[in-house]
Amino acid sequence: MKYTYLILISLLLFILGCNQSESDKKNDSDKIVIGVSMLSMQNEFIVNISDEMQKKAEDLGAELIIVDAERSPLKQIEQVESFIAQKVDVIILNPCEYEASSPAVTKALEANIPIVNVNSATKVQPTAFVGSNDVESGRIAMKFIAEKLGGKGNIVMIQGLNGQAAQIQREQGAKEIMKQFPGLNMIAQQTAEWDRAKSMDLMQNWIQSFGTKINAVFAHNDEMGLGAVKALQDAGMKDKVIVVSIDAIADALQAVKKGDLDATVFQDARKQGAGAIETAFKIARGQQFDKEVLIPFKLLAKGDVDPYLK
Amino acid sequence: MHYIKNLRQYGIFIVFGIICLIISFITPQFLTVSNWTIIITQVSINALLAFGVTFVIITGGIDLSLGSIVAVAGVSAAMLAHPDSYPVLVPVFAGLFAGLLIGAFNGFIITKSKIAPFIVTLGTMTIGRGLALILSNGRPVSNLSDSFVFIGSGKIMGIPVLIVILIVMFILCSLILNRTILGRYIYAVGGNEQAARASGINVTQVKMTVYSVSGLLAGLAGILLTSRITTGQPNAGAGFELDAIAAVVIGGTSTTGGKGSIAGTLIGVLLIGVINNSLDLLNVTSYYQQVVMGIIIIGAVVLDSMNQKSNS
Repeated sequence: MKYTYLILISLLLFILGCNQSESDKKNDSDKIVIGVSMLSMQNEFIVNISDEMQKKAEDLGAELIIVDAERSPLKQIEQVESFIAQKVDVIILNPCEYEASSPAVTKALEANIPIVNVNSATKVQPTAFVGSNDVESGRIAMKFIAEKLGGKGNIVMIQGLNGQAAQIQREQGAKEIMKQFPGLNMIAQQTAEWDRAKSMDLMQNWIQSFGTKINAVFAHNDEMGLGAVKALQDAGMKDKVIVVSIDAIADALQAVKKGDLDATVFQDARKQGAGAIETAFKIARGQQFDKEVLIPFKLLAKGDVDPYLK
Repeated sequence: MHYIKNLRQYGIFIVFGIICLIISFITPQFLTVSNWTIIITQVSINALLAFGVTFVIITGGIDLSLGSIVAVAGVSAAMLAHPDSYPVLVPVFAGLFAGLLIGAFNGFIITKSKIAPFIVTLGTMTIGRGLALILSNGRPVSNLSDSFVFIGSGKIMGIPVLIVILIVMFILCSLILNRTILGRYIYAVGGNEQAARASGINVTQVKMTVYSVSGLLAGLAGILLTSRITTGQPNAGAGFELDAIAAVVIGGTSTTGGKGSIAGTLIGVLLIGVINNSLDLLNVTSYYQQVVMGIIIIGAVVLDSMNQKSNS
């Protein structure tokens, strides 16, 4: 027992020590402090945004405190509360969910701390938004499929986690385009939870039930698109089925280059990350800023990808 | 006679048969060789996890770290499996070793500290997830050699490698549990730990072994998953432990220990796989899929327990 107390006390002192040095740093300079709460640092795309933020913040000489909400809106709200308590100059929020992360925005605004949403939206309007309109990405992907199929054919859609803004908007965009082409048929749609292995299983099962009836696959992200490609390759059907997905992660770019994946929709993590820091910086300095910075998507098919490969 | 008795003991076999029969009437694609090849490849990863945790649950323990072990093993293997780096055995051994290490760590802490396995493995679950993210910098590890990818998508004499591995592991695990002294000790420890100790069984050693085996099999599962999706993902395997435990429970293994079998677990795994597959074949909306799955899990266990009561 004696040792347990000893360990606990030394841990406590250690934590206090850490806090002390951090707050000292802040008081030392007039540096702008930006608190950032990210959706999930287990997602490659989000990690890319956060890396770019760090670079941009270094260039501008701002101090970043980046925390990971691990996909939990509750955790995200708590993180914003602690940013408010730390009196950061600006908060950047990469919302976990459209509705459930809204209280985080409200709390920051009530505390008179400006808040910038990056990548996806919340129901409550923040001070500024930097990102892309996800409905557009769905439109771009489906338009490519419609062109490739000549406006006629059977499509299966592999969805993201149901109820998330990206899933809802990508589906909405795809369906808008399908209305313009009555020859296009959605024969099945199902979630694979953004996951490559789950998407592969789903696609295998669909191949069993629909076989060669499937003409094209639209997957809400690249991970799932690549899973579908693998299943089609294993079944020897890839050359007859078009697969398009969204995000343009490194693996997907390689696959497009090889011709395995037909196209991916490029969402610019670099511009989103850098744009968010720029906007936050402008707000903190009291300069003029745009309330909405929309970064356009870009379709990348074979032949377009080389400049994007690092 | 022996087999008939076994059959009666495991009502779940009958439940599984009935469910398959119903599905094959509704959807003609269900009872085809190609569909069953797919079902068995799809369940092979869950099966390895479930076999491992069957040992653990029979001793009265639990292992929640399986999913994280899958990620650590998968990422470690992927990092060593780039083309023209090492021969394929190196990443395979690295993955197995990572799994064995975490499993042995679980066993060590559980036997030395007497902390509940639930809590210890909950801790290693979080540690493992963190390790996988640290190793991979939070990014998927891609660009794997052809020989490594072969494990997950290749075929040996027309049979997918995954299925071959599943069959070998099934036989091996069944033999360990039914035909060895270790197997008898595992049941004894789960049945009554004090009695086992009194009769001279080294309980610590038995527990160390089952957690190590569970970790080793999870490591193997991680290698297979990585090879199958051709990338080592730090967030892979989240929630896998629950699927594995569900399969074990459906398969008639008692969560209080002392009772269970690898064959039952295999049927549990297949039942989950068959339901997933057929709901996709029938294009049932994913919202309903989850509800149906839950009902069948509870229903299967209730039927099984009713059947056992009427037998005893």
